[in-house]
Amino acid sequence: MNTGRTRNSPWAIPALLALVTLFGLLAALVGEGGIWWALSWAALAVPCACSAYYFVRGLLPPDKP
Amino acid sequence: MTARGLRWWSWIHRWSSLICTIFALLLCLTGLPLIFHEELGPNPAIDEVAGPGGRASVDRMIAEALAGRPGEVVPYLFYDRDKPILKIPTAASMTSAPDTFFYKVFDIRTGKALAADQPNEGFLYIMLRLHADLFAGTKGMLFLGGMGLLLTLSIVSGMVLYGPFARRLRFGEIRKRHSNRLRWLDLHNLLGIITLAWFGIVTLTGVINTLAAPIELMWQSNQLLEMAAQNRGKAPDDRKAPVDLVLANVRAAVPGMTVMTLAFPGTPFSTPTHYAAFLTGDTPLTSRILKPAIIDAASGEVVAVRDMPWYATALFVSQPLHFGDYGGLPLKIIWALLDIVTIIILISGLYLWLAKSRAGGARLDLVETASAKAAR
Repeated sequence: MNTGRTRNSPWAIPALLALVTLFGLLAALVGEGGIWWALSWAALAVPCACSAYYFVRGLLPPDKP
Repeated sequence: MTARGLRWWSWIHRWSSLICTIFALLLCLTGLPLIFHEELGPNPAIDEVAGPGGRASVDRMIAEALAGRPGEVVPYLFYDRDKPILKIPTAASMTSAPDTFFYKVFDIRTGKALAADQPNEGFLYIMLRLHADLFAGTKGMLFLGGMGLLLTLSIVSGMVLYGPFARRLRFGEIRKRHSNRLRWLDLHNLLGIITLAWFGIVTLTGVINTLAAPIELMWQSNQLLEMAAQNRGKAPDDRKAPVDLVLANVRAAVPGMTVMTLAFPGTPFSTPTHYAAFLTGDTPLTSRILKPAIIDAASGEVVAVRDMPWYATALFVSQPLHFGDYGGLPLKIIWALLDIVTIIILISGLYLWLAKSRAGGARLDLVETASAKAAR
């Protein structure tokens, strides 16, 4: 296997997304209102936006070769 | 991963998903309106009041609730976390099932009865029962818990399978040119891995919620009896202390906390000779964790106050994480969007299985991937 792949593990982005999601879930629960709500919304908007972006992109017809 | 490991995890993913998919879809669809139950549900109009800190007599409200329901009793008082209202149910007996309760809602500051629909009827109630217990009580709830466990297994195996899948593709790459099936395979995997943490947490906390009945039973048979035993030896007494006195004594005994529920003597959450009050704190987290206080029914004196055991705390903390109701309307909208994404994942998974069995064979996946690679 090439070394570029090991440095850029396929898990890098999924792990980052999971961390951001967990932070968002806990921010509003453990933090006390105010800024923590906003941080929670911002963090949890990331998986929402990624889902929407890739879903729309996946439904578009293939690019011209 | 070895070829054998891959086959094993694919088998687990296929069958755990197939068995629970139809229920998972039902849960996602019925869960969608339930996210907004506070906005959609029966909401009494609350007046502006000059002295917002005032408290009207609860005994008077109880008398008014009972006046319209001859022969019935009041088993509980339910306060609201956010609104200054008190919900007083009446029922045929102290042990009647909650779905037979008739509710009357009062403004706690003025004692005025408010017009409100019954919470145990209408569209949202049907959604709730379908979501929580399939109209089959504790059995239905535990059954859905089992389906939730299978869904958890399906999420975990899906995550394991993402590893070998992703080695061949860049993150976010969707192969569209070869077949619809391949396009949807990539979308299924991609959306699944993006929402993995949220879907995993909501599923797992949902499973914990289905254990509410056994958890209540454990608490009742251990702690509740222990707490009540602290004033054993007193002569039995048929007098009942006024509810206003009980509430005042509890509030004095546990300063800084709010009474959320009062269980009257003889209900499953109290004893025949004790009231039980359930209090919460005022931070987002402590407002979910109930602390019980046991009150002697005759004298109105607080007998014991104690934290709930860890398994009850696990249930309380898992509730907001399942409902998504702890961060205002934007959090609920996020919950709804992620719920819709999981519906897409479930339906695409079902489609992939159907398309695969139609195309005849599990090897198709690898063949297609190899041909796609060659075509690039």
